[in-house]
Amino acid sequence: MSDTPYIPGAADLSIAPDIEARSGLLSWVASVDHKRIGIMYLLSSLFFFGVGGIEALLMRIQLARPNNNFLSPAAFNQIFTMHGTTMIFLVAMPVLTGMANYLVPLMIGAKDMAFPRLNALSLWLLVFGGLLLYFSFFAGGAPAVGWFSYAPLSEIPYSPTTGVDYYALSLVVLGIASIVAAINLIVTIAKFRAPGLTIRRLPLFVWMVLVTQVMILLALPALNASLAMLLIDRLMHGNFFVPVAGGSALLWQHFFWAFGHPEVYIVVLPAFGMISEVIPVFSGKVIYGYEFVAASTVAIAVLSYLVWAHHMFAVGLGHPVDLMFAMGSMLIAVPTGVKIFNWIATMWGGSIRFTASMLFAVGFLLMFTIGGLSGVSFAAFPIDWQVTDTYYLVAHIHYVLFGGTIFAVFAGLYYWFPKISGRMLSETLGKWHFWLMLIGFNMTFFDQHFLGLMGMTRRTFTYPDLPGWAALNMISSIGAGVMGLAVAVFLWNIAASLLRGEIAGDNPWNAWTLEWATSSPPPPDNFKRLPPIRSRRPLWDLAHPENPDWTHGH
Amino acid sequence: MLGGSPFNPASTLAQPITHLFLVLGFVMVAILLLVTVLVLYASFRFRQRPGASQPEQNFGRTGLEIAWTVAPFLLLVYIFTVTVHTLHGADPEVSADRQPDVVIVGHQWWWEARYASSHVVASNEIHIPVGKLLLVRLESADVIHDWWVPQLGRKMDAVPGHPNHFWLEADAPGTYLGTCAEYCGAEHAWMRIRVIAQSEADFESWSEHQLEIPAQPDTGEAAQGAQLFQQLTCADCHTISGTSATANIGPNLTHLAERQTLATGRLENTPANLAQWLSDPQAVKPDVHMPNFEMTTDQVHDLTAYLETLR
Amino acid sequence: MDTDRAERFVTGDINRFAMLLFLLSETAFFAFLIIAYVYFHNAVTSGPDAANSLDPWKSGIYTVFLLTSSFTVWRAEKCYSRGRRGAFLKWLLVTILLGAVFLFGQGREYLHLYRGNVTVNRNVFGTAFFTLTGFHGLHVLLGLIALAVLFGLALADSRCSQSSAVRTIATYWHFVDWVWVVIFSVVYLWSLF
Repeated sequence: MSDTPYIPGAADLSIAPDIEARSGLLSWVASVDHKRIGIMYLLSSLFFFGVGGIEALLMRIQLARPNNNFLSPAAFNQIFTMHGTTMIFLVAMPVLTGMANYLVPLMIGAKDMAFPRLNALSLWLLVFGGLLLYFSFFAGGAPAVGWFSYAPLSEIPYSPTTGVDYYALSLVVLGIASIVAAINLIVTIAKFRAPGLTIRRLPLFVWMVLVTQVMILLALPALNASLAMLLIDRLMHGNFFVPVAGGSALLWQHFFWAFGHPEVYIVVLPAFGMISEVIPVFSGKVIYGYEFVAASTVAIAVLSYLVWAHHMFAVGLGHPVDLMFAMGSMLIAVPTGVKIFNWIATMWGGSIRFTASMLFAVGFLLMFTIGGLSGVSFAAFPIDWQVTDTYYLVAHIHYVLFGGTIFAVFAGLYYWFPKISGRMLSETLGKWHFWLMLIGFNMTFFDQHFLGLMGMTRRTFTYPDLPGWAALNMISSIGAGVMGLAVAVFLWNIAASLLRGEIAGDNPWNAWTLEWATSSPPPPDNFKRLPPIRSRRPLWDLAHPENPDWTHGH
Repeated sequence: MLGGSPFNPASTLAQPITHLFLVLGFVMVAILLLVTVLVLYASFRFRQRPGASQPEQNFGRTGLEIAWTVAPFLLLVYIFTVTVHTLHGADPEVSADRQPDVVIVGHQWWWEARYASSHVVASNEIHIPVGKLLLVRLESADVIHDWWVPQLGRKMDAVPGHPNHFWLEADAPGTYLGTCAEYCGAEHAWMRIRVIAQSEADFESWSEHQLEIPAQPDTGEAAQGAQLFQQLTCADCHTISGTSATANIGPNLTHLAERQTLATGRLENTPANLAQWLSDPQAVKPDVHMPNFEMTTDQVHDLTAYLETLR
Repeated sequence: MDTDRAERFVTGDINRFAMLLFLLSETAFFAFLIIAYVYFHNAVTSGPDAANSLDPWKSGIYTVFLLTSSFTVWRAEKCYSRGRRGAFLKWLLVTILLGAVFLFGQGREYLHLYRGNVTVNRNVFGTAFFTLTGFHGLHVLLGLIALAVLFGLALADSRCSQSSAVRTIATYWHFVDWVWVVIFSVVYLWSLF
């Protein structure tokens, strides 16, 4: 047994060292313990998931029938803008950061993050940014420009209320929060690994989180620069994106998507990481091809900076430019796709336990494949020329972001909830959650492929009664209701399990990485003792002295 | 169901895209089937059985992994090749000295079309001769819009400060429905397009007729309506040929009564709907740039009568 | 590479490492502002532009002050690591003064431009110029504040207690200076051609 090296933990750096041991609101608000901060990230994400979900339900009610007047155009346009902005910046990114925050120090055998106080700053900047964005509703109207806020629609003449200003300021705050968290996670992973935990032995979740944080450092500044420029235009009468004054509408698009494309991989790679933890454990087999999965992650990260203008195929950049970006966009499908094969190969020959977590992981495999394939169709850009900005695109983004990221997050939450809370989530309720979600999700979004192919454009508060449109929209809206029901079951599961769930114990799943080598929940400084670390699966080695991983050279 | 769909191409420009989509569709369905079968088979075949022994820990086989990396790559090379071949048919090159046949300008929330040779100005319902490849220069008067008529080919953004060019052609006479496809503000949903393709002869007579100036009514309600049009500042936004109204902020109304729809597809063009629109445009199309002039019923009646004479 | 990391852990390592990562993100941020400036460089057809509004020679002199402060802060770092407190404080003070002179020069230039109606809203040159140089100036100001705080803390501390703060803040200061080299070249030197 080796002792953990002396690394300052939360207890050393907290303003009141004994505060972490207390309970009560103040101890949480003042906490610099990564576990509490991680939980608060998750709670914030859950809250905004509810808000974004209600926004979605409101839209689907309006769209259930043609020529509907449940929502005015102004209300609908604000709601679709806030739905997208909320889900990406206040749900997807924070839930992944929160899980990374909670799990990374545990998975590398550390006491806490490198900078516990900076960690708290990131969290509270997130909360502040979220409140700032939503304050816009009370300050004259939320932004109504779409989550990527194209210019010059986002400029004062066309968006005179302060909504866009709140959007920009909020996203700057959130961007700073993300960059600070990224620095913290990178330094933690680089410098705080327990003895024996080399980079090549990192759990894939940690590896993917590491790659993602580097991407954040290089992508979020593009957004911050764009937002600074937009604010200068709006508040100081600048001309960056004002065509009549010599500015460029296209420059906004280039700059935004220089952030926006890496961003979608930022919100999917940690999800891939969770799947890479869950599938092996519930298949009883080591991940198939660790090196390929890790290397493909780096390939995706690099390529993601070279494909941004595939969001601009209809803008008129010219065939040579379009072809270049088509090539990159098709290429990036390769490292993304081969992971699917690695995960299937992990299941192959295994002994699969279909816990709720594993159900979501398998659902992820199928849903993400659908989203990824429709993505490839966009890369063949003459097709994009027909289907971009239609419901075919809306279907694509939800298959990758919801069927991908959110399904993976559900898989991860069912897997790690016992570690975080000390109690098991109900498997029965989990299965209900899964099947309702799978059915509801596909009802909502699969038909949207067809709506797009029938000519229905996105971001429209209503639509004419063309043949078939009403029926498909109605099915989609009912599906959204089913999804809402699934989320309600999930919330019920969390509440009931926190109160009366089965006690989890240290390692309820017989898993193999370091977070399972301590109690559930872990003590304040995470580990009393660490097992010897000679491979990627220290607990497998302990449990299988006849066949440890390090004899396979891993 | 496939009325205005890319899968119902009605143009030599749209067909290559439909073909590319069928190729992609076949590939996508095949891969999805493969992945689904593998996942479902693995899920059933390798379920945990009671008393099962520890599965073999397979760390991976490099050969297999290279194979399933190279195979998709080759498939994508094929798809890329087909993509390149589609380009020329779907979006032919424009030579530098070729002048546009039509200039289309996107406004919040209506379309303006100016025909180069005939100097016809049309709004929202754009007539074209069948079988001819027309070069369109696409501009915007305010924010980014997007021209999309699925059956006739690609969509193209109308970007302020960055004019774009695309080709427009229909194989057979008919009305082709489209819409703005880039969110452009409050009434983006009601910025619809109708392209009416006609035989060469019909198109010529339509063009000539567009240049005719409707006779100014000199008696009755219509004459009073004509006066109201000038008094109520309608002329500040709209053009009616033959009058002093020459502004371009709202659609050209010279032959309004002949159009199929009002308010860019929002209403069918009937006198009753026109009256409803004039009574309160904001109620019909909230946040549209035309204010509610709060006219009396009589004023609406007279104005409607006048506008109905604009044939 | 299986080595025991316990003894290699040093707090100072992580502070400077974190600063370098932060500076990586700042590099990306400035890169985009520079790209925007370059994008609009040839787009100005009327009104003020770099060639007719800027004085590269005057700005060049103030640039020399800023770059010299990189040298002086390096000297300060060296003295600090050798425990020479008095010399460290002197070099640090000179750094702050040199940085302040640069900002003063920037302020004079801004005033001159403003009086000549070259403003952020005049045309795309004005917008791009003031945004790029303004964000840089803001970073210089924040750096000066950090150096001043460092100076104050060091004055109160009677020894050179090997805090990582000196190296960390000095690293930031070097970045701010060398980003200016790029900005000066793109904005001022390029205007000469």
